[in-house]
Amino acid sequence: MVPDPAARQRHLATPADLAALLAEVARGDEAAFDTVYDHVSAPVFGVILRVIRDPAQSEEVAQEVLLEVWRTAYRFDAAKGSALAWVMTLAHRRAVDRVRSVQKEADRERRAATADVPFDEVVEAVESTLEAERVRRCLGGLTDLQRESVTLAYYKGYTYNQVADLLKVPAGTVKTRMRDALIRLRDCLGVA
Amino acid sequence: MNAEPHTLAGAYVMDALDDADRARFERHLAGCDACAQEIAGLLETTARLGAAAATPPPAALKERVLAAARQTRQHTPAVTPLRPRRYLRAVMSATAAAALIVIAVIFGLANSTANQRLDQAQQSSAAISAIMTAKDATMMQGQVSGGGSATIVMSPAQQALVFMARGLPVLPATSAYELWLVGPAGDRPAGLLPQLAHGMIPPVIARGLRQGDHLMLTVEPAQGTEHPTTPMMLDIPL
Repeated sequence: MVPDPAARQRHLATPADLAALLAEVARGDEAAFDTVYDHVSAPVFGVILRVIRDPAQSEEVAQEVLLEVWRTAYRFDAAKGSALAWVMTLAHRRAVDRVRSVQKEADRERRAATADVPFDEVVEAVESTLEAERVRRCLGGLTDLQRESVTLAYYKGYTYNQVADLLKVPAGTVKTRMRDALIRLRDCLGVA
Repeated sequence: MNAEPHTLAGAYVMDALDDADRARFERHLAGCDACAQEIAGLLETTARLGAAAATPPPAALKERVLAAARQTRQHTPAVTPLRPRRYLRAVMSATAAAALIVIAVIFGLANSTANQRLDQAQQSSAAISAIMTAKDATMMQGQVSGGGSATIVMSPAQQALVFMARGLPVLPATSAYELWLVGPAGDRPAGLLPQLAHGMIPPVIARGLRQGDHLMLTVEPAQGTEHPTTPMMLDIPL
């Protein structure tokens, strides 16, 4: 799906705008929440969909997350990070919680055997927006092991031990590659 | 296992730690300002990874979310502005700690003799002491907006806290005070406060703390509820 130009435009709102809107949401402003929805629903749904895969379940979890933004907006603290980071942290954690609770019941062996290494596919599936292009370019600047570690953990919701199993490398190596990779991505993306 | 917990920062911000590693890393984070700063930068980075995967949800979701929001009470900070005071156990005097434990144990026993067997009472007193004497025990206080005050002693390592309150208004038998853990993982009921004669409330243990949780308090029907239905009377960021 390609967002219409208007939707893309809204995503270019400055981080400060989104933070100010969240402050209004915290005061119960429904119109502000409507606008926040337009800003964050695609990133929220997108990341949840990458992790969970099933569209119906993803929609359910996205609804929970967006409602949590409404309920707990007062807890967002602009001094600690951006509004998008706050929302995306909620979204990713909820998605991973959902996947892990299902996984607990699943046969670990079978899961490991059928898990594919999806980084190319994930990178391909990323929308061709300007922002996505930048992320894609920065992911491309990582070593293979760094990139696979990040994509399996972040986009698939695996723990670092599971990633180590899948990639057949020691857990300690995966752990340090994950941190190195994110630091490189941070610098590449120019994150403050 | 690597001896340096700091290397877990990357896995931590990607939610790629299991519960034990996560708890270990959060203990490390609590005493490391540089780490907190690094975590903030890495969370901005993962947010960008997430945003790059943006996919518009089905159009119908918007109306469902907005309609649900209209029917959902927002969490609000406690009416009385409060600054929970944070003490490290090292700062808390040994006398104060000992006094708290004595109070907790007496309350624990008082509560138990009313309706529990003695061995249960001893177990609960032991559980309370274990949290209050933990190496990482932290004490915090907050005012309850309906009157009264609360003191908690928390052990992040044990993911548990002991909650004590005094001066709370006495409730009719049909209602009870209910504790909540409210955080990124959603809101979870953390226990009903038993109420003794004269409105005295014995210490209660809440378990399953997660990073970013707040401890909150509401008045609910006596049997408790799954989600808070009345305004928060207390908000202590853990």
